[in-house]
Amino acid sequence: MNDILKIGKDCKREMKLTWSKYELSKSFDEYITSKRTVRGHLKKIGNFLESLSENDLQELDSATKSAIKSLGINFRVYSDEGSEERSWPLDFIPRIIKKKEWNLVEKGLKQRTKALNLFIEDCYNDQNFLNEGFMESSMILSSKYFLNFCKGLKLPNNSWAHISGSDLIKDEKGDFNVLEDNLRVPSGVSYMLENRYVMKRVFPDLFSHYGVSKIDEYPLKLYETLVQASFAKSKNPEIVLLTPGIYNSAYYEHSYLAQQMGIDLVEGIDLIVKNNVVYKKTIEGLQKVDVIYRRVDDDFLDPDVGNSKSVIGVKGLIKAWKNKNVAIVNAPGCGIADDKAVYSYVPDMIKYYLNEDPILPNIKTFILKNKEDRNYAFENFTNMVFKPVAESGGYGIVIGRNIKKDDRSIIKKNILKDPKNFVAQPLISLSTTPTFRKDSIFPRHLDLRPFILSGKETYVTVGGLTRVALKRGSTVVNSSQGGGSKDTWVVDA
Amino acid sequence: MLSRSAKHLYWLARYIERTENIARMIDVNLELILDFPDDHSLNWKPLIDTLDINDLFENKYKKYNENNVLNFLFEDSRNLSSLNNCLEMSKYNIETIKDDLPKSANIKLNELYDHVVGKKISKIHKRKKLLHLTQIVSMTQGFFGAINNNLSRGYEFEFIRLGRFIERTDMISRIIDCLCISKSEKQTHDFSTMEWLSMLTTLSAQDAFRKVSKGEADREEVISFLLKNDSFPRSVYRALLIIEECLKNLPKSKKLLLMNSKIIKKCERSRLDNYDDIKLHLFLENLEKDLSKVDLKIQSIYF
Repeated sequence: MNDILKIGKDCKREMKLTWSKYELSKSFDEYITSKRTVRGHLKKIGNFLESLSENDLQELDSATKSAIKSLGINFRVYSDEGSEERSWPLDFIPRIIKKKEWNLVEKGLKQRTKALNLFIEDCYNDQNFLNEGFMESSMILSSKYFLNFCKGLKLPNNSWAHISGSDLIKDEKGDFNVLEDNLRVPSGVSYMLENRYVMKRVFPDLFSHYGVSKIDEYPLKLYETLVQASFAKSKNPEIVLLTPGIYNSAYYEHSYLAQQMGIDLVEGIDLIVKNNVVYKKTIEGLQKVDVIYRRVDDDFLDPDVGNSKSVIGVKGLIKAWKNKNVAIVNAPGCGIADDKAVYSYVPDMIKYYLNEDPILPNIKTFILKNKEDRNYAFENFTNMVFKPVAESGGYGIVIGRNIKKDDRSIIKKNILKDPKNFVAQPLISLSTTPTFRKDSIFPRHLDLRPFILSGKETYVTVGGLTRVALKRGSTVVNSSQGGGSKDTWVVDA
Repeated sequence: MLSRSAKHLYWLARYIERTENIARMIDVNLELILDFPDDHSLNWKPLIDTLDINDLFENKYKKYNENNVLNFLFEDSRNLSSLNNCLEMSKYNIETIKDDLPKSANIKLNELYDHVVGKKISKIHKRKKLLHLTQIVSMTQGFFGAINNNLSRGYEFEFIRLGRFIERTDMISRIIDCLCISKSEKQTHDFSTMEWLSMLTTLSAQDAFRKVSKGEADREEVISFLLKNDSFPRSVYRALLIIEECLKNLPKSKKLLLMNSKIIKKCERSRLDNYDDIKLHLFLENLEKDLSKVDLKIQSIYF
């Protein structure tokens, strides 16, 4: 009897995860060194994970999934066949960042966002940066995101992109780089908050090993930022969140944030503009609105100035904004700085506007409009990633080495049709972190989207939303294209 | 509170209450037929008459037989008050206000929706039809139970209650009408006490009725109970009192309260002992018109 038990026990141990079998690659793994040891600050969680059997892992995975299901954390995916609501994918192994490292990232993001806001304001006012030749004016003035009606406008605290999200990646050396800045209507913050909420329920024992920095102050900070954006002097301005409606892929987030802040979630039909003042329609009559946190794209905000067929916007809204009777957050026109070509000038902006050296490095970017850059990028096709400058959500990105030799000329031809619409960047091997797949733990590539609030002060979320590519070797982290997510821990270690 | 939220809450409640009442009406008729299996004069037309959808019905069907009427009332997409449509509309209305309501209410509605939508009534065995209807009624009550038990009292609650009781008042009136038409068209029988009581059962009113009226019961007693009883929540009078209560809790309701109190007075003054079937029918028709005016006023003030 004893022997059988013993064998059984040994068998079970066999099933356990050991880091010696973990598939390392060229990429930087955030948990495991190239010598297959657990990195110093991750010893506790590394050992803990190693102590788990396959059963334990599966239990944790299904507990995570069922928590998400019962909380109803969803997102909507669109395809040719229509749209469907899916459960939010969360991997239960946290992504861990040392506090010391994070403090520097935070500083870098604040610096970057300040410069970007100053740049937007400059573009709509004196255009000094352009006039002094730091950048070709046409890049901005002919951008589809440049809105003539914003010219001459000054906003409280110089805030245009009140809410932004920058995508960060770790390179082969394990250093953070900025991949892009999202200044229009970045989404994902609700999932960052929900991931933590779920993790505390599913994995409470892990939290006790680490001093994990709290993240739950975000809705409060967001509310303060919205108050500070108001043109009205009142301490309690009337704030609403404007959503395109239930079929928007981020509707879950809109509803979540409105609820957390205790503000009304409105659609275009709930608002009306009279004498350049915006009102919401309530059962008690019309009520003046001071601040609109809009999750509707610029073009659809107001049928009078943008897409005239927009049914999700509010007629006359832009005029009300220009008359400073209502604040729109983010301000219309922010998109000029949310462009992958403009991105490459951010280090110059930091020097120009703040007279500082950039703290966070950019990825080298080749502007394909320039012949020299283009030739280099085409010659090094397989080491490059080609990106349309004004898309988001990972759409339109071409990874050079994934393209068959015969098809390369098609891509090049396509770029040559309108080279100013494209940039190229060297293919960076994104860092990996252990991620649960099916029955064991494998390295998977990830990025990080922290969120930055610009009001009287600049606030950066502690950590952010970690997105992880679930397929082996893939670097596509977008949830709309099969990516997953992780809770991000900034720890004292 | 946003006007749009109020509108969705109001219509959500109306459609779920309508689901319940249409299920009850069908139930009344199915039971009547069981009581008089040989009486061919008993037909299904009164159901369509009381809902005022004869044109729509005759567009598609020739005969007012059980199959046609049930198909029309359950699943016909052109009939806006078919159970299928009521539940589609409930789903539509709850979609953007889901987060303002208790989760349990949403779950109950989903259950109800799955129970009804997509099923063909003709495919349900005769033996199970009554059960199917009873389940619909109990599920709608489960929904309102979740609301009553879990939703904070405030404007949300009042708009749900308002929608529910406006719909109910209208439908009780139609159900009484439906019963009396059936009765008058059916010359061969005179309704006995037992038959009147069985009708009360389908409105869950038998026990309550028995508490105020013992022994023999006749038309006047039963109808007066359904119209004028001041404590039974499925009587017209009581429902009007609840509407009054809702209105008192809402802003800008002065005019509505006045309109409602006029209806209440009409109810109080009605002399059922003097009403023959035609007079009763006219009285009920008038009541339904008054209610629809209240409904229009609610829409113009709040939505």
